Amino acid sequence: MRLLALLWSLGPLLWQLRTSLLRPEALVAPLPEGNPWTLANYQLVLSGDPPFWQYLANSTLVGLATTLLTLLLAVPCAYGLQTLRGPIRWGVGLALVAAAMFPTVLLFLALLEIARNFGLANNLLALSLPYAALSLPLAVLLLRAAFADLPGELEDAARLEGLGLGQRLRFVLLPLLGPALASTAILVFLASWNEYAIALTWISRSDLLTLPIAIARIGGGSVFTIPYGAFAAATVLGSLPLLLLVLLAQRSIVSGLTRGAVKG
Amino acid sequence: MSTSSAAGLELRQLCRKVGDRRLLDGLDLQVAPGECVALLGPSGCGKSTTLRLVAGLDPASGGQVLLDGVDLTGRSPGERQVAMVFQSYALYPHLSVEGNLDLGLKVRGLPPRERQQRIDATLELLQLGELRQRRPAQLSGGQRQRVALARALLRHPRIVLLDEPMSNLDAQLREDLRPELRRLLCGREQPVIYVTHDQQEAVGMADRIALLEAGRLQQVGSPRELYTNPANRFVASFLGRPAINLLAVEPGRQLGLRPEHIHLGGDGTVAARLLRREWWGHQQLLWLQTHWGAVRVLTGPEAPPPPEPRLSWQRQHELWFDPDSGARLPP
Repeated sequence: MRLLALLWSLGPLLWQLRTSLLRPEALVAPLPEGNPWTLANYQLVLSGDPPFWQYLANSTLVGLATTLLTLLLAVPCAYGLQTLRGPIRWGVGLALVAAAMFPTVLLFLALLEIARNFGLANNLLALSLPYAALSLPLAVLLLRAAFADLPGELEDAARLEGLGLGQRLRFVLLPLLGPALASTAILVFLASWNEYAIALTWISRSDLLTLPIAIARIGGGSVFTIPYGAFAAATVLGSLPLLLLVLLAQRSIVSGLTRGAVKG
Repeated sequence: MSTSSAAGLELRQLCRKVGDRRLLDGLDLQVAPGECVALLGPSGCGKSTTLRLVAGLDPASGGQVLLDGVDLTGRSPGERQVAMVFQSYALYPHLSVEGNLDLGLKVRGLPPRERQQRIDATLELLQLGELRQRRPAQLSGGQRQRVALARALLRHPRIVLLDEPMSNLDAQLREDLRPELRRLLCGREQPVIYVTHDQQEAVGMADRIALLEAGRLQQVGSPRELYTNPANRFVASFLGRPAINLLAVEPGRQLGLRPEHIHLGGDGTVAARLLRREWWGHQQLLWLQTHWGAVRVLTGPEAPPPPEPRLSWQRQHELWFDPDSGARLPP
C-alpha cells in the first residue's frame, strides 16, 4: 500500500527523469534497438546560449529577493494582526483570504502598465516586487496562525522582563517561529520559482529570463518536432535546486506544517 | 493625583472592563511589604485579571496601582519591577535554564560578570545548579516551576505575583513545595500576591486571603477570620470542605452550620435519619435527612452513628444569612 502511494506520487517524476535520459527515437519506439540511453538531452540544454546556469541563477536571485521581501513585510504584519482585537481583525483576515485567492490573471495588464511607467521591465529585482505582493497574503495568514499558536504568556513574561517589541521578536518569538518561517519561506520561494505569466511579460532580454520562460523557449525551432527529451532534461535540472532546498529544510517544514496539530 | 504614604502595594478602586463585561469592579486591597495575600475565588472571578493589572500587562479601566505611595498605573510592565510566575511557567522553550535566566538581565544591559554572579547565586538558592544547561522540555514539572521562580527572584523585583503557580503539579509535590515557596517568597521586603482557586493552598501560603467573586471583593482577612466570621453566604460556602450546611429553618433567615460543628446524640433537638456514610480515614462524613433537607455532619472515624441520631450544636457556631441577598444577619 505504501509502495503504491509512493509510485503514485513519484511516478510522473520518474517518468520525466526517464524521458530526459532517452534518445528521441526511443521515446516512441516500443522496443528500441541498441542502447536507448543518452546524455545528449542534457548536453543540448546546457550548451545553449546563454548557458542554462544563467537561468538557474536568475530564478534563484528573484526567488531569494522575493522570499526576503515577503518575510520582512509578513512578519510585522502577522504580528500586528495577531494582537488586533475586534471586528478589524476579522475584516483584515477576510480581506487577506480574498487577496490570496484573487486570480493573478486579472492583474497582468495592470502590472504591465506599472512596469512600463516605472521602468521596471528587464530587471530581476523589480520582478520580485509583484511576486512578493502576490505571496504576501498567504504568508501573512500562515505566520499569523503561527503567532497565534505561541502561548501568550511567553510574550507576557518577556514584557515583564523589560524586553521591547523588537527584542521580544528577536529573542523570543522569531526563534520559536523557526519552523513556520522556514515552511513559509519555501512556499514563497516555490511560487516565485514557478511563476510564468508575469516573468513572460516583464522580462524580454534573453540573459535575464527566469527558468519557466527559458524552458518554454526550448521548443524553439519547429512546430513539427517537439523536443521532449530536452524539455525533460531542463525540467529535471530546474527541479534539482528545489529538491535540495526541501531536503535541507525537511524537518522544519514538517514540524511547521503540523504545528498546533497536537499539543506539544 | 493623590498619593499615599503607606508602604507596600495598594490597589485603589481598580477596574477592568472589556466591552460590557466587568471583569474587575472596584477592587481595594493593600499588601504590606513582606506580606503574602492570596487572591482566591472560582474561575472567572477576576483574580488573574487583578494580577495582570498589577503587572501592567492589561490596561486598567479605572483605579490605581500604588507601590510605596508611587502611582504605577501608567507604567509599562518592564518599568514596574514586577516579577510574575505564570501557571504555564512561560519558560522560553528554545533557551537553556541559564539562558532563560540571562535574557532579562542581558536586555537590561547588565555587565556579564554581574549577570553570571546573580545567576549562580539564584541557581544555588533553588538547587538548580546541575540543570543549568537543560532545556525546559528536559525538566520535570517541579523543576520547571523552580526555574520560573528563579527567573522571578533573579531580578530583585519590588512586587512578586504568582498566578496559580502550582496547579500543574501533582498533589504530593504541591504539598511538598508549599513551605519552600513560603521560605523563598514571603517575609522578604516585597509584597506578594498569590492567585489560586485552591483554598487549601491559599490557607497554607497566605497571611491574608482576599476572596473574589464576579469581579468583586467579598472579604479580606486572615484565613481564620474568613472561616469563622464570613461576611456573607458566598464566603461561608466557598471556604471549608465539606461545604457548610445552609438550612431554611425559619422564614427570612437561613442558618449556616459547618459539618464539624454538628453533634449527634440522643439529646439533640432535631431528629434525623442516616442516608449515607463516607469514610475518610481520619474522619467520616455522614449525610443525614432532616425535615430541613439533607445535612452533612463530620464525626470521628470510628464512632458508629447512633440508630436514631438527633442533631445539636452550640449557639456560637450559628451563622445567619439573608436567603435572598446572601448577606450576613445578626444572630
